[in-house]
Amino acid sequence: MQVYLPIAGISVDAMLLVGIGFAVGWLSGLFGVGGGFLLTPALILIGIPAPVAVASGANQTLGASVSGLMAQWRRGNVDPKMGGVLTAGGFVGSLAGVQLFALLQRIGQVDLAVSVFYVVVLGTVGGLMVMESVRAILRRRGAVRRRLHEHFWMHGLPLKMRFRKSRLYISVIPPALAGFFIGVLSAIMGVGGGFMLVPVMIYLLGMPTAVVIGTSLFQVVFVTANVTLLQAVQVGSVDVVLTLLLLLGGVIGAQFGARMGTKLRGEETRALLGALVLAVALSLLWGLVRRPDALFAIGPAL
Amino acid sequence: MVALLLALLLAAPARAQDQALVAALSTQEVRISTAFTGEAIMVFGSTDQPIGPGGDEILVVARGPTRPLVVRRKVKALVFWVNGPSARFNQVPGFYAISGTRPAWQLLPEAIRQENGLGLDALPLTSTGSRSPAFRAALLELEKASGLWLEDAAPVEIRGGRLFNIAVPLPATVPTGDYRVEVLLVRSRRIAAREEMSFRVERVGTADRIADVAEDHAFFYGLACIFLAALAGWLGSVLFRRD
Repeated sequence: MQVYLPIAGISVDAMLLVGIGFAVGWLSGLFGVGGGFLLTPALILIGIPAPVAVASGANQTLGASVSGLMAQWRRGNVDPKMGGVLTAGGFVGSLAGVQLFALLQRIGQVDLAVSVFYVVVLGTVGGLMVMESVRAILRRRGAVRRRLHEHFWMHGLPLKMRFRKSRLYISVIPPALAGFFIGVLSAIMGVGGGFMLVPVMIYLLGMPTAVVIGTSLFQVVFVTANVTLLQAVQVGSVDVVLTLLLLLGGVIGAQFGARMGTKLRGEETRALLGALVLAVALSLLWGLVRRPDALFAIGPAL
Repeated sequence: MVALLLALLLAAPARAQDQALVAALSTQEVRISTAFTGEAIMVFGSTDQPIGPGGDEILVVARGPTRPLVVRRKVKALVFWVNGPSARFNQVPGFYAISGTRPAWQLLPEAIRQENGLGLDALPLTSTGSRSPAFRAALLELEKASGLWLEDAAPVEIRGGRLFNIAVPLPATVPTGDYRVEVLLVRSRRIAAREEMSFRVERVGTADRIADVAEDHAFFYGLACIFLAALAGWLGSVLFRRD
């Protein structure tokens, strides 16, 4: 069944979109991530213009994360103060990111920038994840326990604040900066950024794992909401029909994925996720390096 | 369809007798709804003298609203292919289709063809930026590939010597706006008569309302997107919970 996407201005098979939503939702439920990093490239692959794919991807990530945030909130797994600091950084970051996006669109380099961001970010994160989890699987028995709390340069920064839920007394600068960078990425890549935020919270900020997922969802929901609004106002590329079709498949897929996810071991899951992230990065890299089929492209003059 | 055309034409015989050319469109309005997948618009009419080899010839041109476009060429920078030089074309028709009983270049002298913009190579495309003719050629190729520019996709069909008809296919990506359709009667390599008609392509229903709101009230549209996505995510998790 073909459906006309009013903002993208093209007709696409509705079942294809629901199917992509389902597949991405299934994977995100399996790995416990938003899945925006899979969604945006998939949309670009089927011919959705990059600005629409990015903006609608952020909008979809918002929808996909809301129910998770509500569940975590009920269980008391959200640190609202830490979430607030991250979100404040994220707001500024996404504001800057959307300006950068609008600028890239004017000079006709959006597609390149989106691809390069994906290759660099996903390549790094995927590589680290695979290495980390392979190492963890190899020395599962003789594991060295990481110290719960390590002191390094970060703890000498000013503007300290007490985060009761996270049992931390640290400077607000590192979380605000982390929020800022993830806001920029969110605006340009159409992702929530949970896959980057979670390691930052665990390893850099030293937050207890119990509140990490809930707090990252808090940041993801508010920052993707901000990206949606900014993209709608400044670029005009949020396609609500596209978003809702993706969500339809996504919410169903996520439930199936989450059930299967409980059967997998932590290290294996992370190694698989890392491999998936790396595969997406490599395929996009290939798209940049190989000689394009069409050397010329047309775009609207802005 | 043919019966309908004949009926319409027979209904206006008085007009046809004192005019060399009579033409009409199957519709004045093409509606793009959320289920739109493209549509064909019929152009039909009749002449006062027999059409065909040695006699009269017919040319049908449909032109869509113009818009500015940028054509970019990818170049290799180190290892990556990036968008390099570009040319900006100011008045590019969003849709252009020409068909005749024979190709336009066989029917009319080159000067008349260029003057009237009959044929893809006669389109008045002026550009700024890179001067290379490759950009214009690429624009032609890409527009043809997208189905928005058509040249002699199918010949104008002749029925009963004096009736002609052609279906102009509008693809799903057809831009909205006012379209002009010109029917030309060519007699001894001159344009003997012309009939101008127009139709509108517009979005209707949900698709139209969404696009309008997104454009005119971007802020509220953004808020609505946030709200709808959150609602859909929440509803979905309630309905499809499997634990």
